[in-house]
Amino acid sequence: MDSIVITSLTVSLIAISVIFTVLVVLICTIKLLVYLLPYQEPPLSKSTTHASPQLSATNTVTPDIISAITAVMATHLGKSPQEFHITQINPK
Amino acid sequence: MELTFGDAATKIIGSTGFSSLTVGDGMMILVACVLLYLAIWKKFEPLLLLPIGFGCLLANLPLSMMASTDSGGLLNFFYQGVKHEILPPLVFLGVGALTDFGPLLANPSTLLLGAAAQIGVYTTLVGAVFLGFDLKEASAIGIIGGADGPTSIFIASKLAPHLLAPIAVAAYSYMSLVPLIQPPIMRWLTTAEERKIKMEQLKPISQTVKIIFPVVVTIVCCLMLPGVTPLLGMLMLGNLFRESGVTARLHETSETHLINIVTIFLALAVGSSMTADSFLRLETIKIIVLGLLAFCMATAGGVIFAKIMSKLSGGKINPLIGSAGVSAVPMAARVSQKVGAEEDQSNFLLMHAMGPNVAGVIGSAVAAGVFISLFGDPTIGSNHAEISTNIISTISSLPK
Repeated sequence: MDSIVITSLTVSLIAISVIFTVLVVLICTIKLLVYLLPYQEPPLSKSTTHASPQLSATNTVTPDIISAITAVMATHLGKSPQEFHITQINPK
Repeated sequence: MELTFGDAATKIIGSTGFSSLTVGDGMMILVACVLLYLAIWKKFEPLLLLPIGFGCLLANLPLSMMASTDSGGLLNFFYQGVKHEILPPLVFLGVGALTDFGPLLANPSTLLLGAAAQIGVYTTLVGAVFLGFDLKEASAIGIIGGADGPTSIFIASKLAPHLLAPIAVAAYSYMSLVPLIQPPIMRWLTTAEERKIKMEQLKPISQTVKIIFPVVVTIVCCLMLPGVTPLLGMLMLGNLFRESGVTARLHETSETHLINIVTIFLALAVGSSMTADSFLRLETIKIIVLGLLAFCMATAGGVIFAKIMSKLSGGKINPLIGSAGVSAVPMAARVSQKVGAEEDQSNFLLMHAMGPNVAGVIGSAVAAGVFISLFGDPTIGSNHAEISTNIISTISSLPK
Protein backbone atom coordinates (compact mmCIF):
# COMPACT_ATOMS: atom_id res chain seq x y z
CA MET A 1 0.00 0.00 0.00
CA ASP A 2 1.19 3.50 -0.79
CA SER A 3 2.88 5.23 2.16
CA ILE A 4 0.61 8.30 1.88
CA VAL A 5 -2.45 6.06 2.25
CA ILE A 6 -0.97 4.49 5.38
CA THR A 7 -0.21 7.99 6.67
CA SER A 8 -3.80 9.06 6.00
CA LEU A 9 -5.11 6.02 7.90
CA THR A 10 -2.78 6.83 10.81
CA VAL A 11 -3.90 10.47 10.77
CA SER A 12 -7.54 9.37 10.76
CA LEU A 13 -7.07 7.02 13.72
CA ILE A 14 -5.17 9.62 15.74
CA ALA A 15 -7.65 12.36 14.90
CA ILE A 16 -10.74 10.35 15.79
CA SER A 17 -9.07 9.32 19.06
CA VAL A 18 -8.33 12.98 19.86
CA ILE A 19 -11.93 13.98 19.09
CA PHE A 20 -13.34 11.26 21.34
CA THR A 21 -10.88 12.20 24.10
CA VAL A 22 -11.81 15.90 23.94
CA LEU A 23 -15.52 15.15 23.90
CA VAL A 24 -15.28 12.59 26.73
CA VAL A 25 -13.50 15.26 28.81
CA LEU A 26 -16.39 17.61 27.99
CA ILE A 27 -18.98 14.98 28.95
CA CYS A 28 -17.29 14.49 32.33
CA THR A 29 -17.16 18.26 32.83
CA ILE A 30 -20.84 18.68 31.97
CA LYS A 31 -21.84 15.84 34.30
CA LEU A 32 -19.82 17.43 37.10
CA LEU A 33 -21.40 20.84 36.45
CA VAL A 34 -24.93 19.41 36.39
CA TYR A 35 -24.20 17.47 39.60
CA LEU A 36 -22.79 20.53 41.39
CA LEU A 37 -25.42 22.96 40.11
CA PRO A 38 -28.72 21.06 39.91
CA TYR A 39 -31.82 22.60 38.38
CA GLN A 40 -34.11 24.29 40.87
CA GLU A 41 -37.70 24.88 39.88
CA PRO A 42 -38.66 28.56 39.91
CA PRO A 43 -41.44 29.57 42.32
CA LEU A 44 -44.90 29.51 40.75
CA SER A 45 -46.04 32.94 39.62
CA LYS A 46 -49.44 34.35 40.50
CA SER A 47 -50.51 34.42 36.86
CA THR A 48 -50.45 30.60 36.76
CA THR A 49 -52.95 30.35 39.58
CA HIS A 50 -55.20 32.84 37.80
CA ALA A 51 -54.98 31.10 34.46
CA SER A 52 -56.33 27.73 35.53
CA PRO A 53 -59.74 28.87 36.81
CA GLN A 54 -60.16 30.99 33.67
CA LEU A 55 -59.55 28.00 31.49
CA SER A 56 -61.64 25.60 33.51
CA ALA A 57 -64.50 28.06 33.38
CA THR A 58 -65.15 27.27 29.73
CA ASN A 59 -67.42 24.36 28.96
CA THR A 60 -65.22 22.59 26.41
CA VAL A 61 -61.75 22.88 27.99
CA THR A 62 -61.56 20.79 31.15
CA PRO A 63 -58.57 20.58 33.54
CA ASP A 64 -57.87 17.11 32.14
CA ILE A 65 -57.45 18.56 28.66
CA ILE A 66 -55.17 21.29 30.00
CA SER A 67 -53.05 18.64 31.74
CA ALA A 68 -52.83 16.61 28.54
CA ILE A 69 -51.89 19.66 26.44
CA THR A 70 -49.32 20.73 29.04
CA ALA A 71 -47.74 17.26 29.04
CA VAL A 72 -47.53 17.13 25.24
CA MET A 73 -46.11 20.65 25.03
CA ALA A 74 -43.55 19.84 27.73
CA THR A 75 -42.41 16.77 25.78
CA HIS A 76 -42.37 18.66 22.50
CA LEU A 77 -40.50 21.70 23.87
CA GLY A 78 -38.22 19.64 26.13
CA LYS A 79 -39.14 21.89 29.05
CA SER A 80 -40.46 21.21 32.51
CA PRO A 81 -44.24 21.86 32.82
CA GLN A 82 -43.38 24.49 35.45
CA GLU A 83 -41.41 26.52 32.91
CA PHE A 84 -44.48 27.68 30.97
CA HIS A 85 -48.19 28.09 31.45
CA ILE A 86 -51.11 27.99 29.06
CA THR A 87 -53.14 31.18 29.28
CA GLN A 88 -55.69 30.77 26.52
CA ILE A 89 -57.18 27.98 24.45
CA ASN A 90 -59.51 28.73 21.57
CA PRO A 91 -61.45 25.59 20.60
CA LYS A 92 -62.42 25.67 16.93
CA MET B 1 -7.81 64.02 -30.80
CA GLU B 2 -9.47 62.75 -33.97
CA LEU B 3 -11.74 59.77 -33.74
CA THR B 4 -13.48 58.32 -36.76
CA PHE B 5 -16.78 56.49 -36.44
CA GLY B 6 -15.03 53.20 -37.21
CA ASP B 7 -12.33 53.76 -34.56
CA ALA B 8 -14.90 54.70 -31.94
CA ALA B 9 -17.05 51.67 -32.73
CA THR B 10 -14.05 49.34 -32.62
CA LYS B 11 -12.90 50.86 -29.32
CA ILE B 12 -16.33 50.53 -27.71
CA ILE B 13 -16.76 46.96 -28.93
CA GLY B 14 -13.24 46.16 -27.65
CA SER B 15 -14.08 47.54 -24.20
CA THR B 16 -17.19 45.36 -23.71
CA GLY B 17 -17.08 42.11 -21.83
CA PHE B 18 -18.19 40.23 -24.96
CA SER B 19 -14.83 40.85 -26.60
CA SER B 20 -13.03 39.01 -23.79
CA LEU B 21 -15.62 36.32 -23.09
CA THR B 22 -14.05 32.87 -23.13
CA VAL B 23 -15.68 29.43 -23.24
CA GLY B 24 -14.64 28.97 -19.59
CA ASP B 25 -16.37 32.22 -18.58
CA GLY B 26 -19.50 31.15 -20.44
CA MET B 27 -19.55 27.77 -18.67
CA MET B 28 -19.06 29.42 -15.27
CA ILE B 29 -21.93 31.84 -15.98
CA LEU B 30 -24.01 28.74 -16.68
CA VAL B 31 -22.88 27.20 -13.35
CA ALA B 32 -23.85 30.48 -11.61
CA CYS B 33 -27.30 30.32 -13.22
CA VAL B 34 -27.73 26.71 -12.04
CA LEU B 35 -26.85 27.77 -8.47
CA LEU B 36 -29.34 30.63 -8.67
CA TYR B 37 -31.99 28.24 -10.01
CA LEU B 38 -31.35 25.77 -7.15
CA ALA B 39 -31.50 28.57 -4.59
CA ILE B 40 -34.60 30.39 -5.89
CA TRP B 41 -36.79 27.71 -7.42
CA LYS B 42 -35.63 24.59 -5.55
CA LYS B 43 -34.97 26.48 -2.28
CA PHE B 44 -31.67 24.65 -1.65
CA GLU B 45 -29.93 26.68 1.12
CA PRO B 46 -31.08 29.91 -0.60
CA LEU B 47 -29.46 32.19 1.99
CA LEU B 48 -26.07 30.89 0.86
CA LEU B 49 -26.44 29.50 -2.64
CA LEU B 50 -28.06 32.69 -3.94
CA PRO B 51 -25.19 35.06 -3.00
CA ILE B 52 -22.62 32.36 -3.90
CA GLY B 53 -24.25 31.99 -7.33
CA PHE B 54 -24.41 35.73 -7.87
CA GLY B 55 -20.81 36.15 -6.70
CA CYS B 56 -19.83 33.48 -9.23
CA LEU B 57 -21.78 35.32 -11.94
CA LEU B 58 -20.03 38.64 -11.16
CA ALA B 59 -16.60 37.01 -10.99
CA ASN B 60 -16.96 35.52 -14.45
CA LEU B 61 -18.07 38.63 -16.27
CA PRO B 62 -14.91 39.59 -18.17
CA LEU B 63 -13.27 42.95 -17.36
CA SER B 64 -15.59 43.47 -14.36
CA MET B 65 -12.70 43.02 -11.88
CA MET B 66 -14.99 41.09 -9.53
CA ALA B 67 -13.06 37.82 -9.14
CA SER B 68 -11.42 37.12 -5.80
CA THR B 69 -8.05 37.26 -7.56
CA ASP B 70 -8.64 40.72 -9.07
CA SER B 71 -6.53 42.88 -6.78
CA GLY B 72 -8.37 46.09 -5.92
CA GLY B 73 -11.76 44.73 -7.01
CA LEU B 74 -14.75 44.89 -4.65
CA LEU B 75 -15.03 41.15 -4.06
CA ASN B 76 -11.27 40.89 -3.61
CA PHE B 77 -11.75 42.99 -0.46
CA PHE B 78 -14.53 40.66 0.73
CA TYR B 79 -12.27 37.69 -0.02
CA GLN B 80 -9.67 39.05 2.40
CA GLY B 81 -12.17 38.16 5.12
CA VAL B 82 -11.99 34.52 4.06
CA LYS B 83 -8.26 34.53 3.40
CA HIS B 84 -7.48 35.97 6.81
CA GLU B 85 -10.02 33.85 8.69
CA ILE B 86 -12.30 36.70 9.72
CA LEU B 87 -15.68 35.81 8.24
CA PRO B 88 -16.13 32.10 9.21
CA PRO B 89 -15.51 32.81 12.93
CA LEU B 90 -18.01 35.70 12.78
CA VAL B 91 -20.61 33.33 11.31
CA PHE B 92 -19.86 31.03 14.26
CA LEU B 93 -20.52 33.96 16.63
CA GLY B 94 -24.01 34.21 15.17
CA VAL B 95 -24.49 30.43 15.24
CA GLY B 96 -23.52 30.41 18.92
CA ALA B 97 -26.06 33.15 19.64
CA LEU B 98 -28.73 31.07 17.89
CA THR B 99 -27.87 27.75 19.55
CA ASP B 100 -29.47 26.34 22.68
CA PHE B 101 -27.08 23.84 24.24
CA GLY B 102 -29.81 22.79 26.72
CA PRO B 103 -30.60 19.42 25.06
CA LEU B 104 -26.88 18.60 24.94
CA LEU B 105 -26.39 19.53 28.60
CA ALA B 106 -29.45 17.48 29.58
CA ASN B 107 -28.04 14.40 27.85
CA PRO B 108 -24.25 14.91 27.58
CA SER B 109 -23.58 11.39 26.27
CA THR B 110 -25.00 12.60 22.94
CA LEU B 111 -21.69 14.43 22.49
CA LEU B 112 -20.32 11.02 21.50
CA LEU B 113 -22.72 10.99 18.54
CA GLY B 114 -21.24 14.31 17.43
CA ALA B 115 -17.85 12.61 17.53
CA ALA B 116 -19.05 9.44 15.78
CA ALA B 117 -20.44 11.41 12.86
CA GLN B 118 -16.92 12.75 12.23
CA ILE B 119 -16.09 9.26 10.90
CA GLY B 120 -17.36 10.67 7.60
CA VAL B 121 -14.54 13.22 7.68
CA TYR B 122 -11.86 10.57 8.02
CA THR B 123 -13.20 8.02 5.54
CA THR B 124 -13.36 10.86 3.03
CA LEU B 125 -9.81 11.88 3.90
CA VAL B 126 -8.60 8.37 3.05
CA GLY B 127 -10.77 8.37 -0.10
CA ALA B 128 -9.31 11.71 -1.19
CA VAL B 129 -5.78 10.41 -0.73
CA PHE B 130 -6.70 7.40 -2.90
CA LEU B 131 -7.87 9.82 -5.60
CA GLY B 132 -4.51 11.57 -5.63
CA PHE B 133 -4.92 14.56 -3.30
CA ASP B 134 -2.15 15.31 -0.83
CA LEU B 135 -2.83 15.18 2.93
CA LYS B 136 -3.59 18.90 3.33
CA GLU B 137 -6.01 18.88 0.41
CA ALA B 138 -7.56 15.60 1.60
CA SER B 139 -8.12 17.10 5.07
CA ALA B 140 -9.84 20.15 3.60
CA ILE B 141 -12.06 17.89 1.47
CA GLY B 142 -12.75 15.50 4.34
CA ILE B 143 -14.12 18.26 6.57
CA ILE B 144 -17.10 18.52 4.18
CA GLY B 145 -18.31 15.46 6.13
CA GLY B 146 -18.67 17.70 9.16
CA ALA B 147 -21.62 19.29 7.32
CA ASP B 148 -20.53 22.67 8.53
CA GLY B 149 -20.04 25.36 5.89
CA PRO B 150 -17.99 27.91 7.87
CA THR B 151 -15.67 25.16 9.18
CA SER B 152 -15.18 23.83 5.64
CA ILE B 153 -14.32 27.33 4.39
CA PHE B 154 -12.06 27.96 7.40
CA ILE B 155 -10.07 24.76 6.85
CA ALA B 156 -9.96 25.08 3.05
CA SER B 157 -8.65 28.66 3.28
CA LYS B 158 -5.94 27.46 5.65
CA LEU B 159 -4.90 24.14 4.13
CA ALA B 160 -5.96 24.21 0.47
CA PRO B 161 -6.99 27.71 -0.65
CA HIS B 162 -6.91 26.67 -4.32
CA LEU B 163 -9.76 24.21 -3.58
CA LEU B 164 -11.88 26.66 -1.59
CA ALA B 165 -14.55 27.20 -4.26
CA PRO B 166 -15.45 23.56 -5.00
CA ILE B 167 -15.24 22.62 -1.30
CA ALA B 168 -17.59 25.44 -0.26
CA VAL B 169 -20.04 24.70 -3.05
CA ALA B 170 -20.01 20.96 -2.27
CA ALA B 171 -20.45 21.59 1.48
CA TYR B 172 -23.41 23.95 1.10
CA SER B 173 -25.03 21.96 -1.72
CA TYR B 174 -24.97 18.72 0.26
CA MET B 175 -26.11 20.51 3.44
CA SER B 176 -29.19 21.58 1.54
CA LEU B 177 -29.67 17.98 0.40
CA VAL B 178 -29.56 16.53 3.95
CA PRO B 179 -33.33 15.78 3.88
CA LEU B 180 -32.77 13.71 0.74
CA ILE B 181 -29.42 12.07 1.57
CA GLN B 182 -30.00 10.99 5.17
CA PRO B 183 -33.42 9.24 5.35
CA PRO B 184 -32.60 6.23 3.10
CA ILE B 185 -29.38 5.57 5.06
CA MET B 186 -31.23 5.92 8.38
CA ARG B 187 -33.97 3.51 7.30
CA TRP B 188 -31.44 1.05 5.88
CA LEU B 189 -29.39 0.91 9.09
CA THR B 190 -32.29 0.68 11.58
CA THR B 191 -35.19 -1.67 12.18
CA ALA B 192 -38.80 -0.50 12.51
CA GLU B 193 -38.69 -1.43 16.21
CA GLU B 194 -35.60 0.73 16.76
CA ARG B 195 -37.22 3.68 14.98
CA LYS B 196 -40.20 3.44 17.33
CA ILE B 197 -38.14 3.80 20.51
CA LYS B 198 -39.47 6.67 22.62
CA MET B 199 -36.88 8.53 24.65
CA GLU B 200 -37.35 9.86 28.16
CA GLN B 201 -38.14 13.55 28.57
CA LEU B 202 -35.01 15.66 28.93
CA LYS B 203 -34.27 16.99 32.40
CA PRO B 204 -34.25 20.77 32.81
CA ILE B 205 -30.84 22.39 33.23
CA SER B 206 -30.01 25.24 35.56
CA GLN B 207 -29.25 28.60 33.96
CA THR B 208 -25.91 28.73 35.82
CA VAL B 209 -24.75 25.56 34.04
CA LYS B 210 -25.79 27.05 30.70
CA ILE B 211 -23.70 30.14 31.48
CA ILE B 212 -20.63 28.23 32.68
CA PHE B 213 -20.73 25.73 29.79
CA PRO B 214 -19.41 28.02 27.00
CA VAL B 215 -16.60 29.25 29.23
CA VAL B 216 -15.58 25.70 30.18
CA VAL B 217 -15.73 24.47 26.55
CA THR B 218 -13.55 27.38 25.45
CA ILE B 219 -10.95 26.68 28.13
CA VAL B 220 -10.89 22.88 27.67
CA CYS B 221 -11.05 22.68 23.87
CA CYS B 222 -8.89 25.69 23.06
CA LEU B 223 -6.18 24.56 25.44
CA MET B 224 -6.20 21.10 23.87
CA LEU B 225 -6.46 22.31 20.27
CA PRO B 226 -5.38 25.97 20.02
CA GLY B 227 -5.90 26.03 16.24
CA VAL B 228 -9.65 25.82 16.70
CA THR B 229 -9.85 28.88 18.97
CA PRO B 230 -11.11 31.36 16.31
CA LEU B 231 -14.06 29.09 15.49
CA LEU B 232 -14.92 27.59 18.86
CA GLY B 233 -14.10 30.77 20.78
CA MET B 234 -16.54 32.79 18.69
CA LEU B 235 -19.19 30.04 18.87
CA MET B 236 -19.00 30.04 22.63
CA LEU B 237 -18.90 33.84 22.89
CA GLY B 238 -22.12 34.01 20.88
CA ASN B 239 -23.67 31.43 23.19
CA LEU B 240 -22.52 33.35 26.25
CA PHE B 241 -24.24 36.47 24.84
CA ARG B 242 -27.40 34.36 24.69
CA GLU B 243 -27.25 32.64 28.05
CA SER B 244 -25.73 35.33 30.26
CA GLY B 245 -28.90 37.40 30.07
CA VAL B 246 -26.95 40.64 30.48
CA THR B 247 -26.09 41.33 26.83
CA ALA B 248 -29.49 41.31 25.17
CA ARG B 249 -28.45 43.84 22.51
CA LEU B 250 -25.28 41.97 21.59
CA HIS B 251 -27.21 38.70 21.50
CA GLU B 252 -29.88 40.16 19.27
CA THR B 253 -27.32 41.71 16.92
CA SER B 254 -25.27 38.50 16.70
CA GLU B 255 -28.20 36.24 15.90
CA THR B 256 -29.78 38.56 13.34
CA HIS B 257 -27.99 41.48 11.69
CA LEU B 258 -24.38 40.41 12.20
CA ILE B 259 -24.80 36.85 10.94
CA ASN B 260 -26.84 38.11 7.97
CA ILE B 261 -24.27 40.73 6.98
CA VAL B 262 -21.35 38.33 7.40
CA THR B 263 -23.19 35.65 5.43
CA ILE B 264 -23.55 38.07 2.51
CA PHE B 265 -19.83 38.90 2.58
CA LEU B 266 -18.78 35.26 3.03
CA ALA B 267 -21.03 33.87 0.31
CA LEU B 268 -20.07 36.60 -2.19
CA ALA B 269 -16.40 36.01 -1.41
CA VAL B 270 -16.78 32.27 -1.98
CA GLY B 271 -18.71 32.90 -5.19
CA SER B 272 -16.00 35.28 -6.39
CA SER B 273 -13.43 32.49 -6.06
CA MET B 274 -15.40 30.34 -8.55
CA THR B 275 -13.56 31.29 -11.69
CA ALA B 276 -13.07 29.00 -14.69
CA ASP B 277 -9.41 28.47 -13.76
CA SER B 278 -10.20 27.29 -10.25
CA PHE B 279 -13.48 25.47 -10.84
CA LEU B 280 -13.50 23.80 -14.26
CA ARG B 281 -11.09 21.06 -13.31
CA LEU B 282 -11.19 17.31 -12.76
CA GLU B 283 -10.55 17.96 -9.05
CA THR B 284 -13.96 19.65 -8.76
CA ILE B 285 -15.77 16.50 -9.92
CA LYS B 286 -13.68 14.42 -7.49
CA ILE B 287 -14.56 16.81 -4.64
CA ILE B 288 -18.28 16.67 -5.48
CA VAL B 289 -18.17 12.84 -5.38
CA LEU B 290 -16.10 12.81 -2.18
CA GLY B 291 -18.48 15.32 -0.58
CA LEU B 292 -21.39 12.94 -1.12
CA LEU B 293 -19.34 10.07 0.34
CA ALA B 294 -18.51 12.30 3.34
CA PHE B 295 -22.19 13.03 4.08
CA CYS B 296 -23.25 9.39 3.67
CA MET B 297 -20.45 8.06 5.89
CA ALA B 298 -21.07 10.75 8.53
CA THR B 299 -24.76 9.82 8.67
CA ALA B 300 -23.97 6.10 8.81
CA GLY B 301 -21.31 6.63 11.49
CA GLY B 302 -23.73 8.54 13.70
CA VAL B 303 -26.58 6.03 13.28
CA ILE B 304 -24.35 2.98 13.88
CA PHE B 305 -22.85 4.55 17.02
CA ALA B 306 -26.35 5.45 18.24
CA LYS B 307 -27.40 1.81 17.69
CA ILE B 308 -24.49 0.71 19.88
CA MET B 309 -25.48 3.25 22.55
CA SER B 310 -29.08 2.06 22.29
CA LYS B 311 -28.04 -1.56 22.91
CA LEU B 312 -25.77 -0.58 25.81
CA SER B 313 -28.47 1.58 27.42
CA GLY B 314 -31.09 -1.17 27.15
CA GLY B 315 -33.06 0.49 24.36
CA LYS B 316 -33.34 3.95 25.88
CA ILE B 317 -31.83 5.74 22.86
CA ASN B 318 -33.49 5.93 19.46
CA PRO B 319 -30.72 5.30 16.85
CA LEU B 320 -32.30 7.85 14.53
CA ILE B 321 -30.87 10.70 16.60
CA GLY B 322 -27.37 9.53 15.59
CA SER B 323 -27.76 10.96 12.10
CA ALA B 324 -28.11 14.42 13.67
CA GLY B 325 -24.47 14.14 14.74
CA VAL B 326 -23.54 15.78 11.43
CA SER B 327 -23.81 19.46 12.33
CA ALA B 328 -26.22 20.93 9.68
CA VAL B 329 -28.24 22.60 12.47
CA PRO B 330 -31.22 22.25 12.75
CA MET B 331 -31.99 20.45 9.50
CA ALA B 332 -30.40 17.14 10.55
CA ALA B 333 -32.42 17.14 13.80
CA ARG B 334 -35.59 17.78 11.81
CA VAL B 335 -34.77 14.79 9.61
CA SER B 336 -34.46 12.57 12.71
CA GLN B 337 -37.84 13.85 13.90
CA LYS B 338 -39.43 13.26 10.48
CA VAL B 339 -38.13 9.72 10.01
CA GLY B 340 -39.13 8.83 13.59
CA ALA B 341 -42.62 10.28 13.11
CA GLU B 342 -43.07 8.20 9.94
CA GLU B 343 -42.93 5.10 12.14
CA ASP B 344 -44.87 6.51 15.11
CA GLN B 345 -46.52 9.91 14.91
CA SER B 346 -46.55 10.31 18.70
CA ASN B 347 -42.75 10.00 18.87
CA PHE B 348 -41.13 13.44 19.36
CA LEU B 349 -37.41 13.09 18.68
CA LEU B 350 -36.67 16.71 17.77
CA MET B 351 -35.35 17.91 21.13
CA HIS B 352 -33.42 14.65 21.67
CA ALA B 353 -31.83 15.04 18.23
CA MET B 354 -30.83 18.65 18.96
CA GLY B 355 -28.28 17.28 21.48
CA PRO B 356 -26.17 15.37 18.92
CA ASN B 357 -26.89 18.12 16.38
CA VAL B 358 -25.17 20.86 18.39
CA ALA B 359 -22.58 18.27 19.49
CA GLY B 360 -21.84 17.90 15.78
CA VAL B 361 -20.97 21.60 15.59
CA ILE B 362 -18.47 21.16 18.43
CA GLY B 363 -17.28 17.84 16.93
CA SER B 364 -16.59 19.29 13.49
CA ALA B 365 -14.81 22.29 15.04
CA VAL B 366 -12.66 19.90 17.09
CA ALA B 367 -11.96 17.83 13.93
CA ALA B 368 -10.87 21.06 12.25
CA GLY B 369 -8.63 21.80 15.24
CA VAL B 370 -6.95 18.41 14.88
CA PHE B 371 -6.21 19.11 11.20
CA ILE B 372 -4.81 22.53 12.04
CA SER B 373 -2.62 21.00 14.75
CA LEU B 374 -1.34 18.38 12.29
CA PHE B 375 -1.02 20.38 9.07
CA GLY B 376 -1.52 24.05 9.93
CA ASP B 377 1.15 26.71 9.62
CA PRO B 378 2.37 27.63 13.11
CA THR B 379 3.68 30.99 11.82
CA ILE B 380 0.25 32.11 10.64
CA GLY B 381 -0.12 34.48 13.60
CA SER B 382 3.04 36.43 12.77
CA ASN B 383 1.87 36.57 9.15
CA HIS B 384 -1.34 38.26 10.28
CA ALA B 385 0.60 40.79 12.35
CA GLU B 386 2.66 41.63 9.27
CA ILE B 387 -0.49 42.00 7.12
CA SER B 388 -2.20 44.28 9.63
CA THR B 389 0.96 46.45 9.82
CA ASN B 390 0.94 46.70 6.00
CA ILE B 391 -2.75 47.63 5.94
CA ILE B 392 -2.25 50.34 8.58
CA SER B 393 0.74 51.80 6.72
CA THR B 394 -1.23 51.72 3.42
CA ILE B 395 -4.18 53.53 5.02
CA SER B 396 -1.82 56.08 6.60
CA SER B 397 -0.24 56.83 3.23
CA LEU B 398 -3.61 57.48 1.53
CA PRO B 399 -4.23 61.14 0.55
CA LYS B 400 -6.58 62.86 3.01
